[in-house]
Amino acid sequence: MAAAIVLLLAGLLHHSFAMFDTTKQVTLVGTVTTFEWTNPHAYIEIDVPAENGATKHWSIELGSPSILQQAGWKFKDLKYGDKVTAVVNPLKSGQAGALLMRVTLPDGRVLGNGPGAAGRQ
Amino acid sequence: MKRLVATALVVFAASAHAQVAPPDLTGVWAPYRGGRGADPKLAPPPASPLVLKPDYAQAFDAKRKAEAAAAEKGEPIASGAVACVPYGMPRMMSVALYPIEILPTRAQVTIVTEAFSEVRRIYMNVPQLPMGDVPPGYYGRSVGRWDGDTLVVDTIGVKTTVPAYQNMPHSDRMRITERIRLVANDFLHDEITIDDPVVLEKPVTYTLAYRRMPGYEMVEFVCDNNREYIDEKGGTHLKVRDR
Repeated sequence: MAAAIVLLLAGLLHHSFAMFDTTKQVTLVGTVTTFEWTNPHAYIEIDVPAENGATKHWSIELGSPSILQQAGWKFKDLKYGDKVTAVVNPLKSGQAGALLMRVTLPDGRVLGNGPGAAGRQ
Repeated sequence: MKRLVATALVVFAASAHAQVAPPDLTGVWAPYRGGRGADPKLAPPPASPLVLKPDYAQAFDAKRKAEAAAAEKGEPIASGAVACVPYGMPRMMSVALYPIEILPTRAQVTIVTEAFSEVRRIYMNVPQLPMGDVPPGYYGRSVGRWDGDTLVVDTIGVKTTVPAYQNMPHSDRMRITERIRLVANDFLHDEITIDDPVVLEKPVTYTLAYRRMPGYEMVEFVCDNNREYIDEKGGTHLKVRDR
């Protein structure tokens, strides 16, 4: 299973994904500040409420528009202010950056980071 | 008499073969990989072993070990793609799940890739230049001809800094021969042979398979939001934003 995920990710990204800890999953519930439909990667910027009332900001890396489109994404699927739940692999460095595994959109749809990746555990 | 008839038939068959219209490769093609769910008759056959000459093999193995160690630390050694440098030949022919578009005309077959919008031009039925006369570049110079139903392409002049198959090193004597043909309706194989008398003990052959994507509109790929950067040791990092 792990090997399959590794191969899948290798197929989605234009570089090694070893920056991210693919053994760890973090669930981020927050508000989208920007959704950048760009190359070589799309990004979801998200504000996540922290315990002390503050906000922690995360940058979430996705595949490229081409790959996302093959997985059912559209460039206008997310916008400023959308409330989402994203399951991500965090950066090994500890910074607030991550690789998307899947995200639940405001309309309830769940999108992954590439064809066949939606909803994988 | 029988021999005459047989000879005539062979000549007829040969000329019919030569006159057969080449298959139409026009369109968008997506990589078709082997493995689970793939039709083994359409999936790429196994590659021949990659055997480097000892001097190159040692350095190649050491580089691979260093790459594995860096990846383990979470600071993978950057490839050109991290800096949005295109792949070049032959790796551009298969990048992840990205399609390629084949545009044949009478005098030229043009191939455009979706990843990094790379373009290569295959000049048909013209002689290849002597090795060493092609200015080194990412795509080198490609000439092609039809051999029956197979498009045979010869490429030389790929820069030595452009990694080849499996990121193998290569010299300025590398020659890439491709045999591109339909193996079934809407399935294409590109059998690629790399010969490099300086680096390789023997030529290596591998096959890329593709399936046709009717109606697919190629997506642009302009790298204007590259947030990855390479540190002084060559490791890859991601710029994260505060807000």
